[in-house]
Amino acid sequence: MGHHRVQELRRHGPDVYELVLERNDLAFEIGDCLALHNEAAAQSRPYSIASGQDEDSLRFVIRRMVGGVVSPHLCELRNGDSVKVNPPFGWFRPGACGENAPFVFIATGTGIAPFLSYLRTPQRPAPVRCLYGVRALHDVVERDWLASQCELGLAISREDSPGVHRGRVTELLSDLPETPDLHVYLCGLDTMIDEVSDWFENRGLHHTQIHREVFFHSA
Amino acid sequence: MSRTSNDWLLTPNGDPRGYIQPERLDELWFHTGTNCNLRCPFCLEGSKPGDNRIEFITFEDFLPLAKEALPLGLKRFSFTGGEPFVNPAMVQILDWALTHRPCLVLTNATEPLMNRMAEILAFADAPNALSFRVSLDFSDPERHDAGRGKGNFRKSLRTLGRLHEAGFSVSIARLQEDGEVPADADAAYSRHFAEAGLPEATRIISFPDFQLPGSIAEVPHITEGCMTRYLTAEQRSGFMCNFSKMVVRKDGKLGLYACTLVDDDPDYDLGSTLAEAQQERVTLKHHRCYSCFAFGASCSEG
Repeated sequence: MGHHRVQELRRHGPDVYELVLERNDLAFEIGDCLALHNEAAAQSRPYSIASGQDEDSLRFVIRRMVGGVVSPHLCELRNGDSVKVNPPFGWFRPGACGENAPFVFIATGTGIAPFLSYLRTPQRPAPVRCLYGVRALHDVVERDWLASQCELGLAISREDSPGVHRGRVTELLSDLPETPDLHVYLCGLDTMIDEVSDWFENRGLHHTQIHREVFFHSA
Repeated sequence: MSRTSNDWLLTPNGDPRGYIQPERLDELWFHTGTNCNLRCPFCLEGSKPGDNRIEFITFEDFLPLAKEALPLGLKRFSFTGGEPFVNPAMVQILDWALTHRPCLVLTNATEPLMNRMAEILAFADAPNALSFRVSLDFSDPERHDAGRGKGNFRKSLRTLGRLHEAGFSVSIARLQEDGEVPADADAAYSRHFAEAGLPEATRIISFPDFQLPGSIAEVPHITEGCMTRYLTAEQRSGFMCNFSKMVVRKDGKLGLYACTLVDDDPDYDLGSTLAEAQQERVTLKHHRCYSCFAFGASCSEG
């Protein structure tokens, strides 16, 4: 348990923010979450760490939830404010399938956070592709940077955008190379994760090759 | 409060409280921590994501107590949380434990377990058996999901099927309801077992509502007289506090508690070594003790 000062709060879109906290030497694994507190409400919610392991800051991608208890509080913070956090924890380990196995990242919305943590950590093998689904273009976090790090497949479900697939991220699955030893890392909404898991299992991938991080069901 | 206080020894009416003097150590439980991937409003441990009321047990915590337990006649190691597979040391702990004794893990069988399935499947060849008990609170998936999150009934059921298919013994835990007919409540799971490829006779353990940690529940007080008037020697022998202990890590310190249900009351922290804890008489003052007394509730599968 500790307190970390806000270094920056960046707004990406109307509801999507990147919160940057001082790291204070906190050790974490790629894929770990931290419970961030709204102390006034005595509530906390877990957020995936989006920063690389070598960075001096802790970064989080936060969607401001209507009626939420913690996310609206976090999205009102100012530089220098203090945020209480619990120790890191996690069971989702993007890219941990071994150096020789090919793997893909598939995210919806703020589910991109653990994949940002992986890609922001130097000297890691690149995924075969990173598929990223959002509702609107302004929800995309670090589009150009992501595209510079790996082959990015972007899907936007609620508006047209030049050069971007209009629709759900699941519609991009058939473009992936068919590789029997592929590992799939999924983070985001449960409906996407279940659909993608079934899609790959139906094509012969063993369930141990599918790694899942489902959003928590509270705001 | 301490174990020499009147509250520990006497009911509010001044009668001597019922007690259990531990006879043996068949089972050693480890509380893996109250950190959980789910946030169930009814959780008897108050577990939720990031929670550390009870901290992660480490392999270094586990090992000395496990070694102390083996020569005391231990038959099984058991693990509960929180969600045990949220604990980063869980696979390492199981790897050691399974070389020495059978193990039981209480789990919600969702993402933390699913993501470690490759390591877990390797335990099918371990020298001792690994069993899983998975919570399926109600036979109605919608009621289960109302507490545990959308889609989690199907997810847990599917994982149960995979664990069974891999050769592990599995059972389920369900919630008891007022006025239920137990046989009917159990039978309602049959179609789900069939769907998941589980045997019709898959064991079902039902539990009453234990209420949130720290709750003050109005239950009858159990006196010394109650223990002999209403229970046989065999029934008294079946109390978990007679044959098990649970290791808990709080505020950086390990404690041995009388059973899996009383870790919210520091009076039940019986010491830091098994030799010490086994000497302690356990009075039945916790409101959850009444569930053991009245319904024979037991977290054990012995």
